[in-house]
Amino acid sequence: MEKKEKTIDIIKQERKVSPQVLEDRKTYSRNRKAIMEVLKAGPKSIPQVAAETQLSLPDTTYFMMALFKFGDVQVNSLDDMDEYYFYELKKK
Amino acid sequence: MTDNQNAAATCLDETQFDVMVIGAGIAGAESALKLGDMGYKVLLVEKEPSIGGKMILLSKVFPTLDCAACITTPKVSETARHPNITIHTLTEVDTIQRNADRHFSVQLTKKPRYVVEKDCTGCQECENVCPVITKDQFQFDLTARKAVYIPFNIANPRIALIDIENCMLCGACEKACPSNCIDFTQKEQQLQITAKSVIVATGFKLFDPISIERYGYGRYKNVITSMQMERELAPTRPYNNVLRPSDGKIPDKIAYVFCTGSRDHTVGNPICSQVCCMYSTKQAQLLMGALPMADISLYYINIRAFGKGYNEFYLQAKDMGANYVKGKIGKITEKENGNLILRFEDILTGKVTEKEHDMVVLSVGLLANPAITQVFKGEKLELDPINYIQQPNMLQSPAQTSLEGVFVAGTATGPMDIPDTIMSAGAAATETSSYLKRLS
Ligand SMILES: Cc1cc2nc3c(=O)[nH]c(=O)nc-3n(C[C@H](O)[C@H](O)[C@H](O)COP(=O)(O)OP(=O)(O)OC[C@H]3O[C@@H](n4cnc5c(N)ncnc54)[C@H](O)[C@@H]3O)c2cc1C
Ligand code: SF4
Ligand code: SF4
Repeated sequence: MEKKEKTIDIIKQERKVSPQVLEDRKTYSRNRKAIMEVLKAGPKSIPQVAAETQLSLPDTTYFMMALFKFGDVQVNSLDDMDEYYFYELKKK
Repeated sequence: MTDNQNAAATCLDETQFDVMVIGAGIAGAESALKLGDMGYKVLLVEKEPSIGGKMILLSKVFPTLDCAACITTPKVSETARHPNITIHTLTEVDTIQRNADRHFSVQLTKKPRYVVEKDCTGCQECENVCPVITKDQFQFDLTARKAVYIPFNIANPRIALIDIENCMLCGACEKACPSNCIDFTQKEQQLQITAKSVIVATGFKLFDPISIERYGYGRYKNVITSMQMERELAPTRPYNNVLRPSDGKIPDKIAYVFCTGSRDHTVGNPICSQVCCMYSTKQAQLLMGALPMADISLYYINIRAFGKGYNEFYLQAKDMGANYVKGKIGKITEKENGNLILRFEDILTGKVTEKEHDMVVLSVGLLANPAITQVFKGEKLELDPINYIQQPNMLQSPAQTSLEGVFVAGTATGPMDIPDTIMSAGAAATETSSYLKRLS
């Protein structure tokens, strides 16, 4: 296949990225790093990760599920009370 | 450029059609297929990046409990592969004007995908490197997606698009794409076509319960809509199981609030949505299967189970242990642990009672989607008093509208379930075909 010119350079001259998008990207990057750092020590549930990262429980759920979807984390097991799953880093 | 290459190859003239079907939900796809099979040249216009409408996003379907994707996917791919059907996704109709020869001139706007459709293999390499996330509208905001994304796993076409509003223009996707198909120079396109007839299959809108403040939707994380629960139960679900959005806990006391936004003058929708009793009953059965320890309570006013096998389906849910409570919900309040207190009037005893649940599902109603009427120029597509497309001859010719040559299919006429939608789409195809025969 014939390689095109980089079209990103063309659109960059026409569009501005909104500050909100840049802010959201920082938040994601920060939270992703924090969650993955905590999981390095082994499988943890969402409340355990929230306690260690200081993120709110809903935010931890949202970002953990995003990492689950993107293949960064996987399910390890269910706790004894059948309430919370433990998540772990996906071996790549 | 069309979205289905077979049609593009066989329909040499891509600007003249026998029928334009607006909306590629199950009603639009079914009408298009029927007409395509009869030999008519059909243009199917869809505003979203993929076809299948709401049905392709459902878990299973009442009353058979067939997997929704298993039924929808073959139909949708048959539509996409049909030599007589041309599909334009990310496309909306701007204007429809009748000409002197009774054919319609149509102006369409196709949004850029920023991905060359025919070259994208759906490999997701672009998604892997994209550093930006935003809420995933196809998971009804329960999880996130990247700025470059494939709408969902069984999307048709299963190709990527870029959400330019949320893109930080880093260029990583373009670098990573093995097919070189990312193209940021794509622009919005204006397309001009003619069609001899039109089928409106623009479906329904979901009621947004944020307007009923006392239910706390939007404020209480564990109050979700029935569509969100459909996603939690679907094979292409946002989580690894049915979980609470507040803390990832497996819920074990789930409540349903029937008629949310239906049969309610205060929210401007006085009619019954026809499907909520049944889809809630379906979800209750599925939840009892997925979470065997969970208690499911369903707060209802009346049960409407009028279709073939529907009452038996409802009785089956009761036999399985679903707890139906004839009660009107006054207010929902949230406890610190995310549990929810439902205050309701028990209709049988007249007593006001409170009950605690750890998740609440609002059985949201179906609303009319009347915006399409604005595109008809020089004549008016009439609506009924509830804002659905008017059917002036409902008994003899249910697909007929107030305009000659314009027909209607599916939930664009009013709330209905999938079997009725399919029948309505069949009727629209038949009526359109006899109109086309009379026209020629
Ligand atoms: C939570 C829930 C669960 C349900 N479960 C069941 C079930 O188990 N069994 C059952 O029988 N029924 C069920 N239903 C009902 C079922 O979803 C509908 O009967 C069916 O989806 C209707 O299909 P439709 O094609 O008429 O509408 P839609 O699915 O709404 O399709 C309309 C299409 O038109 C497109 N569109 C709209 N406006 C435009 C425009 N201006 N230009 C271009 N495109 C446009 C939309 O993007 C969409 O793709 C359920 C409904 C809900 C809400
Ligand atoms: S745009 Fe490129 S990288 Fe993305 S799915 Fe398509 S082929 Fe793969
Ligand atoms: S250019 Fe946009 S879509 Fe592509 S990787 Fe970067 S942020 Fe994502």
